[in-house]
Amino acid sequence: MRVVIAEDNVLLAGGLELLLAARGFEVAAVAREAPAFLDAVAEHRPDVTIVDVRLPPSYKDEGIRAALRARRLHAGLPVLVLSQYVEREYARELLSDGRGGIGYLLKDRVSRVAEFTGGLRRVAAGGTAMDPEVISQLLVRREDDALARLSPREHEVLALMAEGHDNAAIACRLRITGNAVHKHIGSVFAKLGLPPDAGGHRRVQAVLTYLDHRRGAGATTE
Amino acid sequence: MRDRWAAAAYLFGALGTAVVTVLGAPLLAVPAQGRAWAERHRRRAGRLLGVAVPARPMTPPMTPPMTRARVGPALRRGLLWPVAHVGTALPSGLALVLCVGNIVTALVAMTAWWAFPADAPPHLQGDVPVDGWTVALTAAPAQAAVLLAVAWWGGPPLARAHARLCLALLAPTPAERLSERLSARVETLTRTRADALDAHAAELRRIERDLHDGVQARLVAVAVRLGVARESLAGAPEDVAVLVGDAHEGVEEAMAELRGVVRGVYPPILADRGLAGALAALAADSAVPTRLSVGRLDAVPAAVETVAYFAVTEALANIARHARATRAQVRVERAGDRLSILVADDGAGGADEARGTGLAGIRRRVAALDGTLRLTSPPGGPTALAVEVPCGS
Repeated sequence: MRVVIAEDNVLLAGGLELLLAARGFEVAAVAREAPAFLDAVAEHRPDVTIVDVRLPPSYKDEGIRAALRARRLHAGLPVLVLSQYVEREYARELLSDGRGGIGYLLKDRVSRVAEFTGGLRRVAAGGTAMDPEVISQLLVRREDDALARLSPREHEVLALMAEGHDNAAIACRLRITGNAVHKHIGSVFAKLGLPPDAGGHRRVQAVLTYLDHRRGAGATTE
Repeated sequence: MRDRWAAAAYLFGALGTAVVTVLGAPLLAVPAQGRAWAERHRRRAGRLLGVAVPARPMTPPMTPPMTRARVGPALRRGLLWPVAHVGTALPSGLALVLCVGNIVTALVAMTAWWAFPADAPPHLQGDVPVDGWTVALTAAPAQAAVLLAVAWWGGPPLARAHARLCLALLAPTPAERLSERLSARVETLTRTRADALDAHAAELRRIERDLHDGVQARLVAVAVRLGVARESLAGAPEDVAVLVGDAHEGVEEAMAELRGVVRGVYPPILADRGLAGALAALAADSAVPTRLSVGRLDAVPAAVETVAYFAVTEALANIARHARATRAQVRVERAGDRLSILVADDGAGGADEARGTGLAGIRRRVAALDGTLRLTSPPGGPTALAVEVPCGS
């Protein structure tokens, strides 16, 4: 599996290269900034890309923009965005084209090697890998909304689902049967008023869309 | 020599302004006009005497309560001074004019007496006709010399006396001088506060950037290596595996803590997107539908951005938790050097600042920046939180 990385920090870029090589990924290129990343993507046509949010020259959100631009240029290009902190806003922007193949993880998660590479493969396959912190931010809400009607177990299932795990993985993590997971998901969707849906990233979409819709009027900047 | 010319010019000027004072008396009764006219004289007098005359403050901070002085400053400056000015400048100016005029007459008589018709010769003071060289060369130079001496020695003290009189009568009151010192102090403090704010802003950004590129990046690199080590420990003694596992989890906790610290110091989204972008993210995340309007902000110091961001965060969280509102509004705009933030909702009202510590913390942070925070929340609603913070200049 060919990977293109956009990461300006030499230490982390080196670490990623080592780790991915040891896990059977082929690192085709490591770009230090956004334009070089876009060139590398055009040249190597990778199966998946890893992008740091902060890149030169301004070290703001160039990585997010580069990721969105790469996905506009190469439809459906799988992108895993890494950052030292997560913002729901960025998750929303990354997911907004509704295509899947998106990951957004804290850099910390890279050190959980098996989970990280699992997430990377999921993204490469068109699924999603959302950081638990994004999900927990989304799920910490006022008490009187629909999410409050979920049972603790349903909360757990929804969170794992939103992270991008499929039913089998959720069953494995919660140590329950696949059948039980299926029932919980049906119940979550029912309580949130969503039609049941099978696809991994579409389920995250459903969660985000639901939260977005309920907010109603958006923000305006004059 | 120059002093004498200056004194002469001062006296002639004073004569002129004395005449204008008499003619323009009704106009000078207008406070602004009278003030400008008086200040002009203070400056002239100060120049002549070589003393610095700081401008009188425009408005005294307070009307002094029943001062014991028999003559109030308004009466002293408005009535006593014009009378004294006219009363002294008119005679002394006219005396100087007479002096100069008679010196000129004496000099003309001395040199050109013969050109006058015989039945109308020029006259010196004391009605002395100049009709021959004897008188022309004795009495005429004597008169010129005496008057020149009078003007030479008498003019400067006269001018200085008048200048001192003006300064004394037009002097600011102690209250006005105090207010002047205070306003100068306030100006200095405002400037240094703005400087401190700028320095603080640069510092916050630097800390956030340094942590991000330094400590946080290093911790990630260490965690990745520990993670890889942990994976490849199969077969190693169990205590080693436990140690590496503990180390790995310790580093992960340190990273999580550091993230919390950075968020509290300078939220990263502010660094990435600026205040408007960060507020848009907050509004989009709000559990209650929130309308955001951001006016022109220009450059806002980082400390002010941070407080604005935390204030909106806290307000929206409170609305979501307690207000039972169906919609909220966030308005941020800049008026001059003040940033104003308004967060309002259509909820049940009755918000109590004493409950919970969130808003109290925001109030302290706002106060530290010389800002104000006002919460209005009558029972039944609506609730509005208004924060104003100066942005320096």
